[in-house]
Amino acid sequence: MLKVDNLHVNVDHKEILKGVDLEVNPGEFHVVMGPNGSGKSTLALTIAGHPKYKVKGGKIILDGEEVTGLGPHERVRRGIMLAFQHPPEVEGVKIIEFLQQVLVELKGLDPVEAYDLIVEKAREFWFKEEDLHRFVNVGFSGGERKRLELLQAALIEPKLLILDEPDSGVDVDSLSLISRKIEELHRKGIAILLITHYGRILQHIDRESITVHVMKDGRIVRTGGGELVDRIDREGFAGIFGEVGA
Amino acid sequence: MTETITISDAKAIIENQIEELAKRNREPEWMTRIRYKALEAFEKAPLNDPVISEEELLRFIAKPEVEGIPENIESLDDLPPEMKALLDRLGISEVEQKYIAGLAVQTDTGVIYNQFLQEWAKKGLIVLPTEEAVRKYPDIVKEHFLKLFSVDESKLTAYHTAVWNGGIFLYVKEGLKVPFPLHLFFLIQESALAQAPHIIIIAEPNTEFHLIEGCTAPILVKHSLHLDMTEAYLHEGAKAQLTVLQNWPEYVHTRPMTRARDGKGARFINTTVGLGTGKSNVANPKYWVEENGYVELNGILLGQKDWFVDLGGEMYLRGKGAAGINASKSVIMDESTVITRGVIRAEAPKTKGHISCDALLLSDRATMETYPGLVSKVDDAELSHEAAIGKIRDEELFYLMSRGLDEEKATQLIVKGFLEPMLKDIPMEFLVEIRKIIELAVSGGM
Ligand SMILES: Nc1ncnc2c1ncn2[C@@H]1O[C@H](COP(=O)(O)OP(=O)(O)O)[C@@H](O)[C@H]1O
Ligand SMILES: [Mg+2]
Repeated sequence: MLKVDNLHVNVDHKEILKGVDLEVNPGEFHVVMGPNGSGKSTLALTIAGHPKYKVKGGKIILDGEEVTGLGPHERVRRGIMLAFQHPPEVEGVKIIEFLQQVLVELKGLDPVEAYDLIVEKAREFWFKEEDLHRFVNVGFSGGERKRLELLQAALIEPKLLILDEPDSGVDVDSLSLISRKIEELHRKGIAILLITHYGRILQHIDRESITVHVMKDGRIVRTGGGELVDRIDREGFAGIFGEVGA
Repeated sequence: MTETITISDAKAIIENQIEELAKRNREPEWMTRIRYKALEAFEKAPLNDPVISEEELLRFIAKPEVEGIPENIESLDDLPPEMKALLDRLGISEVEQKYIAGLAVQTDTGVIYNQFLQEWAKKGLIVLPTEEAVRKYPDIVKEHFLKLFSVDESKLTAYHTAVWNGGIFLYVKEGLKVPFPLHLFFLIQESALAQAPHIIIIAEPNTEFHLIEGCTAPILVKHSLHLDMTEAYLHEGAKAQLTVLQNWPEYVHTRPMTRARDGKGARFINTTVGLGTGKSNVANPKYWVEENGYVELNGILLGQKDWFVDLGGEMYLRGKGAAGINASKSVIMDESTVITRGVIRAEAPKTKGHISCDALLLSDRATMETYPGLVSKVDDAELSHEAAIGKIRDEELFYLMSRGLDEEKATQLIVKGFLEPMLKDIPMEFLVEIRKIIELAVSGGM
């Protein structure tokens, strides 16, 4: 479904991704790990179409079609959605109005249907109706922000959901909810590409069914099974980097 | 080809117009004398305008109407097709479309509101064309006409006073509370005269009302200069809201002159929604606020193309505990310029004043300047100001787009969010149109 082919990406004229290859098939669960600054968010944002991340080489292909030149809105319409590591505050824009418009445009719902659906779903993510009249992410805690990202994923139901550190800056209760919700979305058939530092977020996921990629300095240096997660949790990246000579 | 017009040519033209107006309006002599005094003042008064030169003003006096505006609009079908299309896109009602086309004159408006007004007239609400008020209520008008301005302040004040025509007179009897907004049009399309409506608002003690002037749709005016003057008198405990909606074509220079006296404990909320501002200089509004009075001056401005808006507003906090807010939010596009110069003067103890100026710049060529002025003559006044001039951040735009909105829709949403808090007192039917116009403007569709 998603194929990233020898991707080279520059930010501000500096090469950050130095040839990344990645393939995610429908319904699969992939995990990307790696130290801070290794390029995980850059990979996620580039796939989502952030204009600041310039593709200097390689391709991003979705369902056989190249999407490298498409705008972010066109990519999500084709089924790739990114839940941000740092969702920005959007002053003045109410969550409910924003999400209504999203559902009207993406799913062809009428605004009233959309409203009801949003309010109902939001409850599962611990948002009350009045919370939805707040501005997008403005004054939100880490946990609230990440829950709002997941709520949007549950509403949009993409084919591939990229989750950039949904577990960072989050309180324990939210973490457990988020972890459960990721599993739920995956069970519905949504392919997942999850960026994380810790295995904890995967507590509800069957380790046997996941693929783990380890990034270092703009490259994927190792791909393996779920056992890599526990190993990294225990001993950090040094051992793996030693083995691959990176 | 353009012959030079001298001051004395202009004076002769104005004099003719005064005679005509006096006859047409069957005007009492005292009013015609006011016009003549203004004519005398015209010559020596300073021009005081950042945009219009004296030459231009004189040329305008000689020929107020603009070339190229359809002469004989007898039905909506005579409108230029682009304009008709725009009105349809905005979903403007037929009544309003007529007004825009200049088909609905004062009498038409009278018809629309007739029944309503008759009922309320019995309770003490008087709404009349100013000309009629001059004849019917000479004593009240005499006491309130040109009391907040002096005729020789500028050539424009003098000219307005000499040839004023149109406008409304609103009188609200003590204690009367009008529960729904009064929406009044008062534009008269008589191309031989300059457009200079004079508005008088008198709110007796403990009254409440909301007056909405103008309309949100673009208006096809035949003049390149619009000189309206508003004088508002709010007595003790009155609560008044004046919302001015304007959408001028870009060739129009507007010089709205608004002043208000806000009595003890009176509350005045004056909101201007400038969707089409053309070349505006709103440099001389003044508000005098007495003990525990409150004045809120809100400006919502849309700057497009090469529009130029210079928005002033001076508040005098004269009584103990008086408070004033001067707030503006501007969305500035293309090559337009918006300047704000609010001034608050604290002249009595325990007064409070706040100036805020927010602008969203949607183009690198757009300009925003702000010059807040705070003057305190007492030691316990609380005066403050804040300004935030910014652009839409790439991060927020990308975020909204990453959920499926295209750049235009995402921008519209952010702009709407930026302006909306200041539109809180605007009734829904106008709000819908205002939103649509802003959306169209942001997407370059106007
Ligand atoms: N928007 C940006 N502007 C400048 N540098 C950036 C930007 N985004 C990422 N970088 C740089 O790219 C490198 C990789 O960052 P990032 O992709 O955020 O790593 P990770 O998500 O793995 O922690 C870092 O050196 C970071 O400083
Ligand atoms: Mg990151």
